[in-house]
Amino acid sequence: MTQKKYNLTEWVNTYTADMFRWALYKVSDEELAKDLVQDTFVAATEKVKDFKGDSSPKTWLFSILNHKIIDVYRKNAKKPIAVEPKTFSDFFDENGDWFVNKRPQSWDVSDGHLLDNVEFNAVLKACLEALPEKWGACVKFKYYFNKNADEICQELEIAPTNLWQIMHRAKLNLRDCINKNWFQN
Amino acid sequence: MKKIMHILFLSCLKATELIEKKLLIKLSFKEKIQLSVHKAMCDACTNYEKQSTLIDTAMKHKIEQDEAQVDVSSLIKSTLSKIEKSI
Repeated sequence: MTQKKYNLTEWVNTYTADMFRWALYKVSDEELAKDLVQDTFVAATEKVKDFKGDSSPKTWLFSILNHKIIDVYRKNAKKPIAVEPKTFSDFFDENGDWFVNKRPQSWDVSDGHLLDNVEFNAVLKACLEALPEKWGACVKFKYYFNKNADEICQELEIAPTNLWQIMHRAKLNLRDCINKNWFQN
Repeated sequence: MKKIMHILFLSCLKATELIEKKLLIKLSFKEKIQLSVHKAMCDACTNYEKQSTLIDTAMKHKIEQDEAQVDVSSLIKSTLSKIEKSI
Protein backbone atom coordinates (compact mmCIF):
# COMPACT_ATOMS: atom_id res chain seq x y z
CA MET A 1 0.00 0.00 0.00
CA THR A 2 2.75 2.41 0.98
CA GLN A 3 4.65 1.40 -2.14
CA LYS A 4 1.66 2.10 -4.40
CA LYS A 5 0.99 5.45 -2.82
CA TYR A 6 4.63 6.39 -3.22
CA ASN A 7 4.55 5.50 -6.90
CA LEU A 8 1.48 7.59 -7.58
CA THR A 9 2.89 10.64 -5.84
CA GLU A 10 5.98 10.32 -7.95
CA TRP A 11 3.88 9.95 -11.09
CA VAL A 12 1.85 13.04 -10.24
CA ASN A 13 5.05 15.03 -9.84
CA THR A 14 6.61 13.64 -12.99
CA TYR A 15 3.74 13.55 -15.45
CA THR A 16 1.23 16.27 -14.46
CA ALA A 17 2.85 18.95 -16.62
CA ASP A 18 2.85 16.81 -19.77
CA MET A 19 -0.65 15.52 -19.15
CA PHE A 20 -2.08 18.97 -18.50
CA ARG A 21 -0.44 20.39 -21.60
CA TRP A 22 -1.82 17.49 -23.60
CA ALA A 23 -5.33 17.84 -22.18
CA LEU A 24 -5.33 21.59 -22.75
CA TYR A 25 -4.22 21.04 -26.30
CA LYS A 26 -7.21 18.75 -26.78
CA VAL A 27 -10.04 20.55 -25.03
CA SER A 28 -8.71 24.16 -25.10
CA ASP A 29 -10.36 24.86 -21.75
CA GLU A 30 -8.02 25.29 -18.78
CA GLU A 31 -10.47 24.30 -16.04
CA LEU A 32 -11.72 21.28 -17.95
CA ALA A 33 -8.14 20.21 -18.68
CA LYS A 34 -7.27 20.40 -14.96
CA ASP A 35 -10.33 18.33 -14.08
CA LEU A 36 -9.42 15.72 -16.67
CA VAL A 37 -5.89 15.37 -15.30
CA GLN A 38 -7.17 15.03 -11.74
CA ASP A 39 -9.84 12.52 -12.77
CA THR A 40 -7.14 10.52 -14.54
CA PHE A 41 -5.02 10.30 -11.40
CA VAL A 42 -8.03 9.41 -9.25
CA ALA A 43 -8.91 6.63 -11.72
CA ALA A 44 -5.26 5.56 -11.74
CA THR A 45 -5.28 5.35 -7.93
CA GLU A 46 -8.20 2.97 -8.10
CA LYS A 47 -6.78 0.90 -10.94
CA VAL A 48 -3.10 0.88 -10.02
CA LYS A 49 -3.32 -2.63 -8.53
CA ASP A 50 -4.20 -3.87 -12.04
CA PHE A 51 -1.23 -2.07 -13.59
CA LYS A 52 1.19 -4.85 -14.43
CA GLY A 53 3.95 -2.72 -15.83
CA ASP A 54 3.52 -4.07 -19.37
CA SER A 55 3.72 -0.51 -20.62
CA SER A 56 5.48 2.48 -19.09
CA PRO A 57 3.51 4.37 -16.41
CA LYS A 58 3.42 7.33 -18.77
CA THR A 59 1.78 5.34 -21.58
CA TRP A 60 -0.68 3.84 -19.12
CA LEU A 61 -1.67 7.22 -17.65
CA PHE A 62 -2.02 8.79 -21.09
CA SER A 63 -4.31 6.00 -22.26
CA ILE A 64 -6.62 6.73 -19.31
CA LEU A 65 -6.45 10.46 -20.03
CA ASN A 66 -7.18 9.97 -23.74
CA HIS A 67 -10.29 7.98 -22.95
CA LYS A 68 -11.54 10.81 -20.77
CA ILE A 69 -10.80 13.39 -23.46
CA ILE A 70 -12.64 11.35 -26.09
CA ASP A 71 -15.63 11.09 -23.74
CA VAL A 72 -15.75 14.89 -23.59
CA TYR A 73 -15.71 15.15 -27.40
CA ARG A 74 -18.33 12.45 -27.77
CA LYS A 75 -20.62 14.11 -25.25
CA ASN A 76 -20.29 17.46 -27.03
CA ALA A 77 -20.91 15.88 -30.44
CA LYS A 78 -24.20 14.43 -29.29
CA LYS A 79 -25.66 17.64 -27.90
CA PRO A 80 -28.37 19.11 -30.14
CA ILE A 81 -27.33 22.00 -32.38
CA ALA A 82 -28.04 25.20 -30.50
CA VAL A 83 -27.62 27.99 -33.06
CA GLU A 84 -28.85 28.08 -36.62
CA PRO A 85 -25.67 27.99 -38.62
CA LYS A 86 -25.28 28.95 -42.25
CA THR A 87 -25.70 26.13 -44.75
CA PHE A 88 -24.50 25.72 -48.32
CA SER A 89 -27.51 27.59 -49.70
CA ASP A 90 -26.42 30.69 -47.75
CA PHE A 91 -23.15 30.78 -49.70
CA PHE A 92 -23.93 29.23 -53.10
CA ASP A 93 -26.78 29.60 -55.60
CA GLU A 94 -28.62 26.65 -57.14
CA ASN A 95 -25.83 26.23 -59.72
CA GLY A 96 -23.22 25.96 -56.98
CA ASP A 97 -21.72 29.40 -57.75
CA TRP A 98 -20.82 31.85 -54.98
CA PHE A 99 -23.44 34.51 -54.28
CA VAL A 100 -21.86 37.79 -55.36
CA ASN A 101 -21.79 39.20 -51.81
CA LYS A 102 -20.30 35.94 -50.46
CA ARG A 103 -17.43 35.59 -52.93
CA PRO A 104 -14.20 35.49 -50.90
CA GLN A 105 -12.27 38.73 -51.44
CA SER A 106 -8.57 38.76 -50.74
CA TRP A 107 -7.50 39.33 -47.14
CA ASP A 108 -4.95 41.96 -46.20
CA VAL A 109 -2.34 39.98 -44.28
CA SER A 110 0.53 42.35 -45.02
CA ASP A 111 0.87 42.98 -41.27
CA GLY A 112 2.96 39.79 -41.01
CA HIS A 113 2.34 39.29 -37.30
CA LEU A 114 -1.27 38.29 -37.64
CA LEU A 115 -0.84 34.88 -35.97
CA ASP A 116 0.71 36.47 -32.87
CA ASN A 117 -1.96 39.16 -32.67
CA VAL A 118 -3.88 38.64 -29.41
CA GLU A 119 -7.05 40.23 -30.74
CA PHE A 120 -6.99 38.13 -33.90
CA ASN A 121 -6.59 34.97 -31.83
CA ALA A 122 -9.54 36.05 -29.68
CA VAL A 123 -11.67 36.40 -32.84
CA LEU A 124 -10.47 32.98 -34.00
CA LYS A 125 -11.44 31.40 -30.68
CA ALA A 126 -14.85 33.10 -30.59
CA CYS A 127 -15.60 31.97 -34.16
CA LEU A 128 -14.61 28.40 -33.35
CA GLU A 129 -16.84 28.43 -30.29
CA ALA A 130 -19.74 29.85 -32.29
CA LEU A 131 -19.81 26.70 -34.43
CA PRO A 132 -22.48 24.12 -33.59
CA GLU A 133 -20.98 21.63 -31.14
CA LYS A 134 -20.94 18.73 -33.56
CA TRP A 135 -19.09 20.73 -36.22
CA GLY A 136 -16.79 22.14 -33.58
CA ALA A 137 -15.99 18.63 -32.38
CA CYS A 138 -14.99 17.59 -35.90
CA VAL A 139 -12.79 20.65 -36.35
CA LYS A 140 -11.16 20.19 -32.95
CA PHE A 141 -10.53 16.54 -33.66
CA LYS A 142 -8.66 17.57 -36.77
CA TYR A 143 -6.49 20.25 -35.19
CA TYR A 144 -5.96 18.99 -31.66
CA PHE A 145 -5.82 15.25 -32.17
CA ASN A 146 -4.18 15.26 -35.59
CA LYS A 147 -6.53 12.43 -36.45
CA ASN A 148 -7.15 11.31 -40.00
CA ALA A 149 -10.61 11.21 -41.53
CA ASP A 150 -11.26 7.54 -40.73
CA GLU A 151 -10.36 8.03 -37.08
CA ILE A 152 -12.54 11.12 -36.72
CA CYS A 153 -15.51 9.22 -38.17
CA GLN A 154 -14.88 6.35 -35.80
CA GLU A 155 -14.48 8.48 -32.67
CA LEU A 156 -17.55 10.60 -33.39
CA GLU A 157 -19.59 7.74 -34.85
CA ILE A 158 -20.45 9.53 -38.10
CA ALA A 159 -20.38 8.37 -41.72
CA PRO A 160 -17.51 9.56 -43.95
CA THR A 161 -19.90 11.45 -46.26
CA ASN A 162 -21.24 13.24 -43.21
CA LEU A 163 -17.71 14.22 -42.20
CA TRP A 164 -17.05 15.93 -45.53
CA GLN A 165 -20.22 17.93 -45.33
CA ILE A 166 -19.64 18.85 -41.70
CA MET A 167 -16.01 19.90 -42.27
CA HIS A 168 -16.89 21.84 -45.39
CA ARG A 169 -19.75 23.72 -43.74
CA ALA A 170 -17.73 24.29 -40.58
CA LYS A 171 -14.88 25.83 -42.56
CA LEU A 172 -17.22 28.01 -44.65
CA ASN A 173 -18.76 29.35 -41.45
CA LEU A 174 -15.40 29.79 -39.73
CA ARG A 175 -14.03 31.72 -42.71
CA ASP A 176 -17.19 33.83 -42.94
CA CYS A 177 -17.05 34.64 -39.22
CA ILE A 178 -13.36 35.63 -39.31
CA ASN A 179 -13.96 37.68 -42.45
CA LYS A 180 -16.82 39.58 -40.83
CA ASN A 181 -15.25 40.10 -37.42
CA TRP A 182 -11.67 40.78 -38.40
CA PHE A 183 -10.96 41.59 -42.03
CA GLN A 184 -14.02 43.76 -42.63
CA ASN A 185 -13.68 45.54 -39.31
CA MET B 1 -22.93 26.15 -71.30
CA LYS B 2 -22.55 26.79 -67.59
CA LYS B 3 -23.63 23.23 -66.80
CA ILE B 4 -21.03 21.79 -69.14
CA MET B 5 -18.39 24.00 -67.52
CA HIS B 6 -19.41 22.74 -64.10
CA ILE B 7 -19.22 19.11 -65.13
CA LEU B 8 -15.74 19.63 -66.56
CA PHE B 9 -14.30 22.16 -64.13
CA LEU B 10 -16.50 21.91 -61.02
CA SER B 11 -18.90 24.36 -59.41
CA CYS B 12 -17.54 26.60 -56.62
CA LEU B 13 -19.50 24.49 -54.13
CA LYS B 14 -17.69 21.35 -55.28
CA ALA B 15 -14.33 23.15 -55.61
CA THR B 16 -14.42 24.39 -52.01
CA GLU B 17 -15.34 20.88 -50.89
CA LEU B 18 -12.27 19.52 -52.66
CA ILE B 19 -10.13 22.23 -51.03
CA GLU B 20 -11.27 21.01 -47.61
CA LYS B 21 -10.69 17.41 -48.66
CA LYS B 22 -7.19 18.36 -49.77
CA LEU B 23 -6.45 19.90 -46.36
CA LEU B 24 -7.74 16.81 -44.54
CA ILE B 25 -6.48 13.98 -46.79
CA LYS B 26 -5.19 13.73 -50.35
CA LEU B 27 -7.00 14.33 -53.62
CA SER B 28 -7.13 11.83 -56.45
CA PHE B 29 -5.25 12.71 -59.65
CA LYS B 30 -8.49 13.62 -61.40
CA GLU B 31 -9.59 15.84 -58.53
CA LYS B 32 -6.22 17.61 -58.49
CA ILE B 33 -6.53 18.49 -62.18
CA GLN B 34 -10.16 19.59 -61.83
CA LEU B 35 -9.35 21.80 -58.87
CA SER B 36 -6.34 23.48 -60.44
CA VAL B 37 -8.25 24.22 -63.65
CA HIS B 38 -11.14 25.60 -61.62
CA LYS B 39 -8.84 27.83 -59.59
CA ALA B 40 -7.18 29.15 -62.74
CA MET B 41 -10.57 30.54 -63.74
CA CYS B 42 -11.95 31.49 -60.33
CA ASP B 43 -10.45 34.18 -58.06
CA ALA B 44 -13.01 33.58 -55.31
CA CYS B 45 -12.05 29.92 -54.82
CA THR B 46 -8.34 30.80 -55.08
CA ASN B 47 -8.87 33.28 -52.25
CA TYR B 48 -10.89 30.68 -50.37
CA GLU B 49 -8.06 28.16 -50.48
CA LYS B 50 -5.48 30.69 -49.27
CA GLN B 51 -7.75 31.75 -46.43
CA SER B 52 -8.75 28.25 -45.42
CA THR B 53 -5.05 27.31 -45.27
CA LEU B 54 -4.34 30.43 -43.22
CA ILE B 55 -7.07 29.44 -40.75
CA ASP B 56 -5.45 25.99 -40.41
CA THR B 57 -2.07 27.56 -39.70
CA ALA B 58 -3.60 30.05 -37.25
CA MET B 59 -5.36 27.27 -35.34
CA LYS B 60 -2.17 25.25 -34.98
CA HIS B 61 -0.24 28.35 -33.94
CA LYS B 62 -2.84 29.23 -31.32
CA ILE B 63 -2.66 25.73 -29.84
CA GLU B 64 1.12 26.00 -29.53
CA GLN B 65 0.77 29.39 -27.83
CA ASP B 66 -1.80 28.10 -25.34
CA GLU B 67 0.51 25.23 -24.52
CA ALA B 68 3.42 27.51 -23.71
CA GLN B 69 1.66 29.36 -20.89
CA VAL B 70 1.20 26.62 -18.33
CA ASP B 71 1.83 26.70 -14.57
CA VAL B 72 1.24 23.27 -13.12
CA SER B 73 2.61 23.42 -9.57
CA SER B 74 -0.80 24.25 -8.08
CA LEU B 75 -2.41 21.50 -10.14
CA ILE B 76 0.12 18.98 -8.79
CA LYS B 77 -0.67 20.07 -5.25
CA SER B 78 -4.44 19.80 -5.60
CA THR B 79 -4.17 16.49 -7.45
CA LEU B 80 -2.06 15.01 -4.67
CA SER B 81 -4.53 16.06 -1.99
CA LYS B 82 -7.40 14.64 -4.05
CA ILE B 83 -5.63 11.28 -4.38
CA GLU B 84 -4.83 11.34 -0.67
CA LYS B 85 -8.56 11.54 0.05
CA SER B 86 -9.51 8.78 -2.36
CA ILE B 87 -7.04 6.26 -0.92
